[in-house]
Amino acid sequence: MSDYGEQISDSEKQRIAHDFITHAPPGEVETVFSDVRHLLSKDGSAHGESMTASLSKYRVDQFTPVTVDKEKVLLTNHGKLDNNRFLDPRSKKSFHCNIPKVEISDIQPADVDSNAESWRNEIDNALAKYIKEHFPHGTCTVYGTSNGGETTIIACIEDHKFSPENFWNGRWRSEWKITIEDGNAKVVGILKTQVHYYEDGNVQLVSQKECKDNLTVSSEKQLADDVTKLIMKFESDYQLAINDNYNTLSTTTFKALRRQLPVTRTKIDWNKILGYQIGKEIGK
Amino acid sequence: MTDLQLDYALDLMRRLPPQQVEKNLSDLIDLVPELCEDLLSSVDQPLRVLRDKQTGKDYLLCDYNRDGDSYRSPWSNKYDPPLSDGAKPSDSLRDIEVSANSAFDSYREMYFEGGISSVYMWDLDHGFAGAILIKKVGDSSPKIKGCWDSIHVIEVVEKSGGRNAHYKLTSTVMLWLQTSKAASGTMNLGGSLTRQVEKDSSLNEGSNSHIANIGRLVEEMENKMRHTLNEIYFGKTRDIVQELRSLTCASEKDKRQTVANELKNKFGANHAC
Repeated sequence: MSDYGEQISDSEKQRIAHDFITHAPPGEVETVFSDVRHLLSKDGSAHGESMTASLSKYRVDQFTPVTVDKEKVLLTNHGKLDNNRFLDPRSKKSFHCNIPKVEISDIQPADVDSNAESWRNEIDNALAKYIKEHFPHGTCTVYGTSNGGETTIIACIEDHKFSPENFWNGRWRSEWKITIEDGNAKVVGILKTQVHYYEDGNVQLVSQKECKDNLTVSSEKQLADDVTKLIMKFESDYQLAINDNYNTLSTTTFKALRRQLPVTRTKIDWNKILGYQIGKEIGK
Repeated sequence: MTDLQLDYALDLMRRLPPQQVEKNLSDLIDLVPELCEDLLSSVDQPLRVLRDKQTGKDYLLCDYNRDGDSYRSPWSNKYDPPLSDGAKPSDSLRDIEVSANSAFDSYREMYFEGGISSVYMWDLDHGFAGAILIKKVGDSSPKIKGCWDSIHVIEVVEKSGGRNAHYKLTSTVMLWLQTSKAASGTMNLGGSLTRQVEKDSSLNEGSNSHIANIGRLVEEMENKMRHTLNEIYFGKTRDIVQELRSLTCASEKDKRQTVANELKNKFGANHAC
């Protein structure tokens, strides 16, 4: 903490602004961005470029869904091209995204990795059905790349619900990396949940889990089905485990912190408590 | 302009993850050092513990027993590191503070069965104010960390020539829960809720009557907040997770709905006969 009036360097200011923006809870980054902008300078004009860069990182980290030619696609690091352009691997198009406003423009045909495409396409189709069944407002974007004999498929899943009129927001993200080589597929995933409740308070759930497994590969179709089943199992198990934790935290941890009533099952008689104190004083 | 800046700063603290409140507050003060005092007095942080060197008893630290870089112990009334001119309550208020500390020590033992409590008081022009602090760290399981911090700030104004008093209570409870298991990964559920209440009560039991009035007010508030915390932490946030991902397939839900509708129609038709 600096003493009153001591000024920190511009790079330190940008570091703090970046931390604040990239830690904004789901659905609230515009407000956080505006708060930080006003705190950085009174007219809100300073450090514009570095703040936009922080916002860009936030949008990509959070798997922000956008609509391109009426189809939803996620902004992720895996689809990031130069100059704020992103790839939509399903429609094989690239587009420009205005990061602060999340406006899409200049949609162009794009090249995709032709060696990985058959794998990507099957997994994308199988996952789309799964998303429809388990994510009420979910979006999934699947990328494919290849390098020699190795094909890598990355599936990003996002679902959010923002309910600012009820003071809460939440987001689910999962990212799955499937590495296919020599008839084997290595599956690695990371699952993240964040919930913010803020009516007369600030309560947040931040949860994260990593998973991995191996699958044998005989065809694109078979792998796509097996990968989808595996992802469904991992994600449902994670959700069930979170529910278990809620039960344990509520029935044991919370209860052990503070009782509903004292052992006597009645509220405290304050005159009696104070009477004891006076008694103790006199007894000394 | 600075008032507006304080609004932006407080809005930011209401949104950023509460699990990093200390780091966020320290960064925020670096960013806008002119708001330092305002931020320290309006942003609640998890309570820190210090041991009174004279009595060997632990006490809680907050902005209300801080003077510069020193903190006053409610047990010995001394500042650590020592301050010769540190702010202290008047002699008559110190008497109330001493009694309040022992009364809330009993309260804490009865509701928390452990933990630490501290009460600090300071004089106001037409009455006095106090902060009642309680901290309890859970140690029931090595895999689960739990912590409760209560911060009750009370303002007291005596009226009608001292026959009754107006009490304004602002209570913040911070609840921190953290668990890490193979099946669920890490799960961190934490933050704070703040509530306010105002009440007039009569003074008929001498100087202890203030403590009894404050005690009843704090007890009722904390019981209500415990109920609300239970609902929000373990009900509301859990429901929100289920809104993000559904364990049941959407097609399965539709099927059940169709069956339910059919039954309803059939029952409705039979009923009409």
